[in-house]
Amino acid sequence: MTKPSRRPDAAPPEDTTAVRAREALSRKWSYLLSSVVVVALSREELDAELGAQLDALCAALHSEPFDPAPFEEVGERLVALGYVNEPGLKRTVDVLGKGLLALEEFRSSDQHTVRVVGGIGALTCGFTAARARAILDQQESMQRSLLKAAHDAQRDQRQSEAKFEGIASSSTNGVLIVGLDGRLAWGNESIGVIIGRPPEPGTRLVELIAPTSIVVFREMMETVLSERGEFEREPMQLVRGDGEFAKVTLTASLLRDDEGQASHVLVMADDDTELALLQGELRRQSLHDVLTGLPNRQFFTTHLETVLRRADPEFGVTVLHLDLDAFGLVCNSLGARVGEHLLQHVARRLRAVMSHEKSMVARFDGDEFGIVVENTARTPDVATTMANINADLGEPTYVDGHGLAVSVSAGVVHRPPADVDPVELLRTADLALRQAKRDRRGQWELFHASEDATGRRDAALAVVMPGAWEQGDIGVVYQPVRDLATGGLAGVEALLHWDLSDRCAVLADESGLILPMGEWLIRIATGQAQWWRQRGELDQQFGVRLTHHQSTDADLVSRVSKVLEETAMPAARLTLSMPVGVLGVAVAADNLGTLADMGVRIALDDFGLGPRDLAWLSALPVVSVLVPEDLVRRQDPRSAALVPAVHELGVNLCVDGIESAEQEKWWTEVGADLATGAHYGSPLDAGAFLRKIS
Amino acid sequence: MAETQNWVPLGIDTNVPSMARVYDYILGGAHNFAADRQVGGQIEKLVPGLPSVARLNRRFLGRAVNFLMDQGIRQFLDIGSGIPTVANVHEVAQERDPAARVVYVDKDPVAVAHSQLLLADNENAAIVQADMREPEVVLSSPEVARLLRLDEPVGLLMLLMMHWVPDEDGPEKLVAHYRDALPAGSFLVMTHVAKDQIDDSVDEAAAVVNRSRSADQMHMRDHARVSALFDGFSLVEPGLVGCGEWRPDGPGDFADEASMNMFLYAGVGRKD
Repeated sequence: MTKPSRRPDAAPPEDTTAVRAREALSRKWSYLLSSVVVVALSREELDAELGAQLDALCAALHSEPFDPAPFEEVGERLVALGYVNEPGLKRTVDVLGKGLLALEEFRSSDQHTVRVVGGIGALTCGFTAARARAILDQQESMQRSLLKAAHDAQRDQRQSEAKFEGIASSSTNGVLIVGLDGRLAWGNESIGVIIGRPPEPGTRLVELIAPTSIVVFREMMETVLSERGEFEREPMQLVRGDGEFAKVTLTASLLRDDEGQASHVLVMADDDTELALLQGELRRQSLHDVLTGLPNRQFFTTHLETVLRRADPEFGVTVLHLDLDAFGLVCNSLGARVGEHLLQHVARRLRAVMSHEKSMVARFDGDEFGIVVENTARTPDVATTMANINADLGEPTYVDGHGLAVSVSAGVVHRPPADVDPVELLRTADLALRQAKRDRRGQWELFHASEDATGRRDAALAVVMPGAWEQGDIGVVYQPVRDLATGGLAGVEALLHWDLSDRCAVLADESGLILPMGEWLIRIATGQAQWWRQRGELDQQFGVRLTHHQSTDADLVSRVSKVLEETAMPAARLTLSMPVGVLGVAVAADNLGTLADMGVRIALDDFGLGPRDLAWLSALPVVSVLVPEDLVRRQDPRSAALVPAVHELGVNLCVDGIESAEQEKWWTEVGADLATGAHYGSPLDAGAFLRKIS
Repeated sequence: MAETQNWVPLGIDTNVPSMARVYDYILGGAHNFAADRQVGGQIEKLVPGLPSVARLNRRFLGRAVNFLMDQGIRQFLDIGSGIPTVANVHEVAQERDPAARVVYVDKDPVAVAHSQLLLADNENAAIVQADMREPEVVLSSPEVARLLRLDEPVGLLMLLMMHWVPDEDGPEKLVAHYRDALPAGSFLVMTHVAKDQIDDSVDEAAAVVNRSRSADQMHMRDHARVSALFDGFSLVEPGLVGCGEWRPDGPGDFADEASMNMFLYAGVGRKD
């Protein structure tokens, strides 16, 4: 209920006698009202409020022509004060009806009598209308509350039912719900395994008990039914379908309905046979990771299936696929043992951080973990959860004297549909993780469906790629490198080609296939170069681009030297280019240096986008740089400034991806040296290429 | 049950009167259903002054919260808060200090839902659905953990509440359980139907409640028994008195009929 404020248009009269008379009247009104209403105002506040109302009424009575609207408004405002019901109205009418006319300022004319009567009528109308609205509002808000309460109760009930069923169905213990008449109402799968046949509803429980255990059983049930104990627990034997007996421990407890009346007996059967105990242990081991004690991927996947089914549709589940950042670095520098301790530490912390949620933390392989959260109204959002995890892991832990603080990156799938395949779901989370890890650490990424469409296609292509390569569907094509100043041929570039995708090298790089395939590309290209040279058909500089993966390959140098040896290609006729972004990795820079020492000419790919790009040119023996397509298109004056800067370091500049004569002209004018691209025709196979250029 | 719409699950039977909603009706509100109004109407006929009792209780609540604010209390645990009406604890307290924190407790699911809707935008007030006879549930609730610091004095409010607790549930022990969870300097604010101050009509009114299908049954207590509930608390002036007599501040704080002022015992005690 809001507190109406003083009305600015209702200034009190100048005359002090009149002021006092009004004050006396409003205080009387306040006094009489306060003993029948429930309002949020203190006495002083109510006095002040009614004083203002009275001023408004008096102003209305004085106004020409008379307008009863302020009276109606005062009636409405009374309702807004709180619970001011009919007794409040009655007292108001009494006190104002007499009091207004008794005020000196209205005694002078009969006209005021008429106005007061009309005004009080208007006040009553205003009050009644507002009161009716207030009642409707309150009733409506009650209905809303009732709906909400019903909704909440149903959800709680659904959750607890689902929870019970989830626990009972997946329990390795036998679970039986037995009516008070001793007949079976429901049994889970495990009890069927114990007694060797599925339990038939309606069967008398006593029929399942071995003769030797009948007495103990009856005593147990009597104790439970007479409510002498919370639950009873006794070892006994059950009759198996095959005539054998199963050793079990039965636990019985009373179930009550909502009114607290006994309704059923819950009977749990622990399978005590040694086989069962052994199986239990094996099952535990096969479902848990030995190092951390966490559930393993298999267990996690099964669990996922269950929680997807039982999750509250309103909140759903969230799946996080976590990967430790720089775990390899820890192992390489500090040893595998420290790495193992670190994994155990992370497992403990993840469990602790997630302990407030209904969740499972599992260890996948290596340094990867999975978490599934069954969300509730109180579950924090993904960003908060990830921040909590990284804040916790960011506290250094001491492993063998090394203070280690780690961060994790995550792929997150939030609220997947309940019918999604768990394996598919994990694949999706993994995809999102790769996305997050691409070049950042301690990051997380929500899975986006559109990314998946490309990702899925790529993944499918990556799967069939080795077969396609073996079948000869992946080939080598050639494109010219032009000298911009003369328009002459300055070199030949060899590329992978696959009809199914123009991202052949990218896909092979992601799957790792690039290592053998890239070596093969160099071999084919240098072989072709030698063939042309020996026949006198073409003697040119041959270029091949290395991917990230190839550049950081520890065997790169030996692969290249082996190929050069086999084909007898002069090292100086081969140009290999590396993406400039990979140079931060020590292995790549080492590779580059060694290849240059061997005489291979080195170019840097994707050049010009990074702040350190130029610095590499003075540090490493680079001959040429390639400016990527988007810079080529942009024709930015700043790119133009790159040319003299590169030239100053004795390096030439190749524009990679010229598409038009106009682009060619612009880059020629700013001083670029070489160019490749669609403008010079699409890449061709060896025969066609040779025919075209000669 | 037959007349209840079938989507209303067990525990939310609108044909069963709820004391929270009957109280709202007697106070003059419309947050109630036919069954509540029927019981309320019957009681009002037997005790015509009852609306003023409800009103005086509400006025006392406002005075007591203001008194506690004067004593430096900034966190409140209001047990049996019912349907939020006019001048609720958080409104009175936060009017004076917006940082004041309030946790309400009620077991009635509709009152709880109503409070949740009302408090949705108030980060310093929340409601716990719990039976006050399970203090552990109340005290370990996430709402209490979030809003109350139990190492700082708390204002514990039990208005028109303890007479719903039968002797066999140990009302003294129950209050003591809450008391022990709170530090010295905390306050207990209580109103309780005064058995020794009222005439037979009230017995009949209590019988109306007890005959209705409501789960709540009324247990009136005399001055000595209500005083005993303040065990471990020192009553502040003027002690345990008629609701209208506890530090009245103006005409609305007491009723014209003297008997109504004495209908409830009211007291505020400070934990030693």
